[in-house]
Amino acid sequence: MLSDILSPDVFAAAMRIATPLALAAIGGTICERAGVVNIALEGMMLFGAFVGVIAVTYAGNPWVGVFAAAAAGASLALMHAFASVTLKTDQVVSGTAINILAGGLTGFFMEVIIGHPGTTDPVPRLVPVFDFPVPSAGFFAPMWRWIDVIFLSHTPIVYGTILFAIVAHWALFHTRWGLRLRALGEHPRAADTVGISVVRGRYSAVLFSGVLAGLAGANLTLEQVGSFTEGMTNGRGFIALAANIFGRWTPGGSYGAALLFGFAEALQTKLQLLRDVITIPSQFFLMLPYVLTVVVLAGVVGRAVAPAAVGKPYEKG
Amino acid sequence: MERAGKASVTHRLYGLLEQIAPPLVSVVIALAISSLIIWVVGYDPVRAFSALFDGAFGGPRQIGETMLRSTPLIFTGLAVAYGFRAGLFNIGAEGQLFMGGLVAAWLGVALAGLPTMVIVPIILVAGAAAGMAWAFIPALLKARVGAHEVITTMMFTFIARYIVSWLVTGPLKAPGQIPQTVQLPAESMLPKFTDILPELGTGRAHLGFVVGIALAVVVWWVLKHTTLGYEARAVGFNPWASETGGISVSLTTVKSLCLSGALAATAGVTEVIGLHGRLFDQFSAGFGFTGIAVALLARNNPLAVIMTAMLFGALSAGSGTMQLQADVPSKVVFIIQGLVVFLVAAQQLAVWLLRPFKARGGVENA
Amino acid sequence: MDAALLEVREVTKRFPGVLANDKVSMSLESGEIVALLGENGAGKSTLMNVVYGLLSPDGGELYYEGHPVKVRSPRHAIDLGIGMVHQHFMLVEPLTVTENIVLGNEPTKIAGVIDFSTARKAVAEISKRYGLAVDPDAVIRDLSVGMQQRVEILKALYRGAKILILDEPTAVLTPQEVRELFKVVRSLVDEGLAVVFITHKLEEVMAVADRVVVMRDGRVVGEARPSETDMAGLARMMVGRDVVFRVEKKPSVRGETILEVDGLEVLDERRLEAVRGMSFDVCAGEVVALAGVSGNGQTELVEALTGLRRPAAGSVRLSGKDITHASARQSIEAGVSHVPEDRHRRGMVLEFDLAENMILGDHRLEPFSRHGVMKPTEIARVTEERVAAYDVRTPSIRVLGGALSGGNQQKLVLARELGRDPKLLIAAQPTRGLDVGAIEFVHQQILAERDSGKGVLLVSLELEEVQGLADRILVVYEGRIVKEFAAGEASDEDLGLYMTGGGGDKFAESTEVSVKGLGT
Repeated sequence: MLSDILSPDVFAAAMRIATPLALAAIGGTICERAGVVNIALEGMMLFGAFVGVIAVTYAGNPWVGVFAAAAAGASLALMHAFASVTLKTDQVVSGTAINILAGGLTGFFMEVIIGHPGTTDPVPRLVPVFDFPVPSAGFFAPMWRWIDVIFLSHTPIVYGTILFAIVAHWALFHTRWGLRLRALGEHPRAADTVGISVVRGRYSAVLFSGVLAGLAGANLTLEQVGSFTEGMTNGRGFIALAANIFGRWTPGGSYGAALLFGFAEALQTKLQLLRDVITIPSQFFLMLPYVLTVVVLAGVVGRAVAPAAVGKPYEKG
Repeated sequence: MERAGKASVTHRLYGLLEQIAPPLVSVVIALAISSLIIWVVGYDPVRAFSALFDGAFGGPRQIGETMLRSTPLIFTGLAVAYGFRAGLFNIGAEGQLFMGGLVAAWLGVALAGLPTMVIVPIILVAGAAAGMAWAFIPALLKARVGAHEVITTMMFTFIARYIVSWLVTGPLKAPGQIPQTVQLPAESMLPKFTDILPELGTGRAHLGFVVGIALAVVVWWVLKHTTLGYEARAVGFNPWASETGGISVSLTTVKSLCLSGALAATAGVTEVIGLHGRLFDQFSAGFGFTGIAVALLARNNPLAVIMTAMLFGALSAGSGTMQLQADVPSKVVFIIQGLVVFLVAAQQLAVWLLRPFKARGGVENA
Repeated sequence: MDAALLEVREVTKRFPGVLANDKVSMSLESGEIVALLGENGAGKSTLMNVVYGLLSPDGGELYYEGHPVKVRSPRHAIDLGIGMVHQHFMLVEPLTVTENIVLGNEPTKIAGVIDFSTARKAVAEISKRYGLAVDPDAVIRDLSVGMQQRVEILKALYRGAKILILDEPTAVLTPQEVRELFKVVRSLVDEGLAVVFITHKLEEVMAVADRVVVMRDGRVVGEARPSETDMAGLARMMVGRDVVFRVEKKPSVRGETILEVDGLEVLDERRLEAVRGMSFDVCAGEVVALAGVSGNGQTELVEALTGLRRPAAGSVRLSGKDITHASARQSIEAGVSHVPEDRHRRGMVLEFDLAENMILGDHRLEPFSRHGVMKPTEIARVTEERVAAYDVRTPSIRVLGGALSGGNQQKLVLARELGRDPKLLIAAQPTRGLDVGAIEFVHQQILAERDSGKGVLLVSLELEEVQGLADRILVVYEGRIVKEFAAGEASDEDLGLYMTGGGGDKFAESTEVSVKGLGT
């Protein structure tokens, strides 16, 4: 039974499930490193997921959908940046507004474009990057199967996210972009006095997080599910924020935390399949990620230190 | 002294206007933007909004429907507003609402046979207590380790939904195909206005609306005239000064979020014992989240919450008619909601837009 | 003759309701130290913020090396060769010294990758050249204040500053660090830089400046060379009248012991020992002043005495009653009043109106409330009374606290804390940032409290205040009381010596180590 549970597909599923969480979490990381809280990740992800599907419906090519999703995330992010940077609005409230708005826009345009509420028709998805013939017999066959399932079975955004997490993590600590980003969230005035534009820095960070959240949505609809359902992000944006905290405001840590959530959920799905053996209602499994988020947050927050200026509008002079 | 009194009356009137104008403008702009969206998409906004208005205020039944839809929003609006006053963002009012609804559905059956005058107050109190309990863990985590309530109460909302989903499909499921609890007996229900005065013709509107208004006054009074409210506001504004003034910040945080939870849960209670008479998965149309818009638009003033809840209640009541008569998807209401929250929060928008004009006239002012 | 390095001509800067700079002119040459002297609010920092491009002037011109310039931003100022070290350091705490220094001017390899080895070399080179030793890989938050200031100076030098503006640079330093700083400044001008030194301390002007420009009420009121004038003359220019350095006070009538502190130990946020075994008492009818450089455990001591921080060891008794572990509320109810050092953060709720602020701390007590219900008429009555008695200038008690001036805010805090008729008043830096009139008022109130038989514990960084008010002076250093003086027994020099660990043999050897421990 244990081998059933810890099979290669569980690990592969963990990576798949982790991808949208990780993308949004890294988005959150970048945003908060620049000093802006982004609880609108949820809405940006949802909007991206929707726009991605609609774009594919018209264009036929899933890649068009990916770009459309990124642009959709960025468009809501622009709103958030305008509110929190230019207008110095309460960032949490602005984020909430965008979440509500995203729910409204997707629901409204779903009916306008698709003609009914609920779920869209399936659209073409992005296919796995690698397609190797896997030897089905021979001494190495089982091992080869593991490698194939865990590492070679994925779609482009899944790989892209891993790659991006590594690059972003390194860049945060070794590049001009990273240094300036860290300064912005800790002491924007210090950055301002040496000629770093707080406004430009924060705008670009928020927009970037919107692109990432949009891509997270694209992963959900255009790689995982193949269609859009209203409210399908189901709190992933909030879990991503927790993953960002758990990952101590680093891209690598965010990815790791997302992977942990992904693994928990993959296990949960697997365990559900064994319902005949373990008689626990499915809802309890479905609750798991949310419970885990609270537990993680409860255990880690006191010790992890957020960027000092996060959530505070920057007042010049 | 007399003259000072008069001056302060105009001063206060002006102040009131200053308070009311920005939210009003926000609503107008939000409606304008959504009209634009409706128009661009190819519908007739005039027809849409006149249908909406008709659906909300066209007659006693419609007005009743508006009251009905406003009722849960008064409670969730009060919940979010109270939280905000104490510096807490109870984004998870929806979860507390679910727990309130759950307790109502359970007690409504369990206490069957007792007179309404006994059952309903018990259910209201017990439901509120359930919401309080549901907010307690996030409150404790906030007070103890500083875990942000936005994430924790949100997570607790999902957990609450799954608990309810499990109960209505399993242990509390009524016989039959549909996942829902059994119908409550009549004595467990809040009376409708028409039960008392049939000639009112207010349809499904029930006494929960009156409870809501009463509670709004109570919350206003608590905030303004009790040490509980004073301490909540003090902590919301400045926790350090509060601490120096002998107020326990963590205790106040816990109390405030729990109280907010109790208010939110009341929405769930009245939906169950006022309207549906049972519990099922989708018994709340996101009232907890709309409560955020209600509270912000009311600038967290409990008395203003009554008005803003009625506004969103009217939008919700009218949107059905709008969909039927003008074909416009009723979900446009959520777009309006999102825009309203955004515009109310972005108070600086007007200042920003008027910037070019200000800059020219600024020198004389300084 | 060459044009001046920097010339300010008739610069005017307005803020709502204030004329911060009124046609101010001054000039600066290479190789000189100019002190910009004036009281708080005289417009010194405003002027320099204009020069540094943080504020844009409403009138007047700047000439840099003879050319007219409009300094658009700090970045522009830096490009011109103007560097500024702010009173509140512009350092990013979790970053390293090198990262802070190069921020905004990072040497990069391809694709924006920072060339840290070049950066580190550059930092090492400048710090050697100007004798500013600092570990390039240290994280800012681990450095002492003096060290952080060095990093700020290095930051300006790294950017090729020809002019260095230092805004109140000595406010946070120990006397040793001040001496070090003066040495550094001297070596900078020897290398051809020009330094503007903003201060309100006369001794510093006399010690370091080549030339002094005196400002008052937004105007330049005089210019002098320290060698050709004396402190009294400068003081007159600065304040506009003869300065009375002493406060009139009656002899103290000491009564019974009010506060007894015994072996108190308190930890700070980082769980380091900030108060290391303090024992002292305060009697009725006396002002006991705690003198010391900022960051020697005063904040933690006050927080422990007022129930805001749990002591790690020792005991505190108020009129014989043990209040060691009292909460803030119990402490207030036991009779301890507290004028906090940070008025806006701890002293009041800026968003509350005057009446609401007036009852903070007493809001649970009669006559302000009963059984949790507030009594608005009583609250208003008492507030009106106190506002009148303490001369809080306000149009109405419904005005928000944040709308008052600093002096009136402090009067409000005093009115509340003294109005409740405490046994003990703990006043922490009660005159910080106030104008002369308000300072006088606060001092009078503290003495009045003493004369009415209350105990007063005054925590102050200002020697003048300590000397003027105290009946006994306790000198704190590194969390310990290192010396006690009776009023009038010690000169400022004596106090300064003990405040910096230089007094007794016992502490002489710890001086070297101490610099590190003086963090915020």
